[in-house]
Amino acid sequence: MTETSIPQHAPRTGRIDTVGGGDRAGRRHQRRPPGLPWILPALILSVGLIYYSIGYTGYISTLDWDGISPGPRSVGTGNYTRIFQDPVFWDAVWHTAVFFAVTFVVQTLLGLIFAVLLHTKVKLATVYKVIIFIPVVLAPAIMAPVFRHMFAPDGELNSLLHAVGLGSLAQPWIGQTSTALPVIMFITVWEWTGVTFVLYYAAMTQTDPSVIEAAKIDGAGNLRTLVSIIWPDMRGTTLALAILGAIGALKTFDVPYLVTIGGPNYATEFLGTYIYRMTIPLDHVGYGAALSVILLVLALIMALVLQLGGGREGKAGR
Amino acid sequence: MFEIRTWRARIALQVLITVLVLPYLFPLIVMVKGSLAGQGLHNFSAVLAVPGFARFFVNSIIIAVSVIALVYVVTMMAAFGFAKLHIRFREVYFWLLLACLTLPEVVLLAPLFSTALRLGLYDTYWAVILPLAALQVPFAVLLTRNFLNGLPNELFEAARVDGANSFRGLIYLVIPLTRPIAAAVIIFTLIAAWNDYLMPLVFLQTPDMQTITLVPQYFVGEFSNDQTKILASAVITAIPEVVAYLSLQRLFERGLSAGAIK
Repeated sequence: MTETSIPQHAPRTGRIDTVGGGDRAGRRHQRRPPGLPWILPALILSVGLIYYSIGYTGYISTLDWDGISPGPRSVGTGNYTRIFQDPVFWDAVWHTAVFFAVTFVVQTLLGLIFAVLLHTKVKLATVYKVIIFIPVVLAPAIMAPVFRHMFAPDGELNSLLHAVGLGSLAQPWIGQTSTALPVIMFITVWEWTGVTFVLYYAAMTQTDPSVIEAAKIDGAGNLRTLVSIIWPDMRGTTLALAILGAIGALKTFDVPYLVTIGGPNYATEFLGTYIYRMTIPLDHVGYGAALSVILLVLALIMALVLQLGGGREGKAGR
Repeated sequence: MFEIRTWRARIALQVLITVLVLPYLFPLIVMVKGSLAGQGLHNFSAVLAVPGFARFFVNSIIIAVSVIALVYVVTMMAAFGFAKLHIRFREVYFWLLLACLTLPEVVLLAPLFSTALRLGLYDTYWAVILPLAALQVPFAVLLTRNFLNGLPNELFEAARVDGANSFRGLIYLVIPLTRPIAAAVIIFTLIAAWNDYLMPLVFLQTPDMQTITLVPQYFVGEFSNDQTKILASAVITAIPEVVAYLSLQRLFERGLSAGAIK
């Protein structure tokens, strides 16, 4: 408006004048400098690369292609119909679901127990904390040979069992279908309890001390205080861990690929390992792409469900 | 927080936590013990004597540093834009970015593989750096934007009135003020880049280019499956990470659990 009334005095002086004037609050938003150029690099890098890949994956998923040869054959939705009849795919989905349920429950429980115990002023608290957290820092790819060694038929776990008189429990842990998946779960829990623990440890200090004090005066013991007051108060943390765990389960690749190679007999096949197997060693790039699209849809549904389910609770909790 | 009054209960809890922590310690003991089996310390010298062993570390450092630099610059700019500058349809762009948060990296495999081949990026650092950075940026922007939202707008307006343009605003306000959150961003980006296995596995073919996460596999070939040497190489590659964690405990704990903090 100022600009139309005083056309000669170009925008600049006009603007500085209004700053000196009083209508600051009303026009604050319009006067902010443009931000689009600032977010462009991030958008090009992430949104560009990722959406390009997703779009390309969608296209490849309609092809029968080995990834290199020219003139791939279009098969429409053929790959998808084949996937839904593929028992290995359903196995992989089932493993992911079981894997998530078990690792989430065990990890939450252990993280919680460690957080509580380290809040009771045990001795050497830092040492325990460091031991629990080191696995988070180590690369799964580097630990994989260690676990292969540890769970081998003549490995350290079986020697330990023999040494403590439980030799009858010794078995080829990663070589048989019944124990291979639990081994993968053990490794995952081993790796991530540190994060669960750190979050619960911090969350426990957030509860208003006077509430805890009041509960104690009313005669609540330690356990009662934890179950009835602190645990409900940490709902937001638990929910965030559930989202992380669910997405982590869908992303699982390194550990089953390196420790059990998805076997034996597909017993530890996950969507990640199956996509890799199809795409790279077997050259069924089209089929792998269709699997990727399904994985992506599952991940989005999971995130939305947990986010919507938790959004309300999270607010109520705070 | 939890009061334990009796002597007996205290000892019981100490025993309980010790027992519970043993399974976490056991694999680490297996690793160190296994690496010293057979020829003892000679395993380590044999691993270190392999020509080109240092190369894996150099490659991991190059990749990690580049990913961190790229993520940091892009994130600071974007978070500043989203939090303090004027953008039409701002939330639309933001949601486009956030949707990438749930993306499993394996989904990128087929398209990036054929694109990298076509652009001649296969077996170069870029083929690993770009996707890794792209996957870290959404979350880094989310964290940093939330942090910047907590800073008063008046601060930025005052700078503007004093004649600072947006670029100066970034250099003199955003970068110094976001240090705490930037530390978290850098740590989780470092761990994600340093520990990543899939991207180097697929995109780095020649041993000269490969990262430390590919070391165990390389050594399976090099030492025809001699477990003690492989475990020694695992110990050597784990040492820098453990040392880094021990010297920056707080930062690592905060950075790596940032994933669950909104």
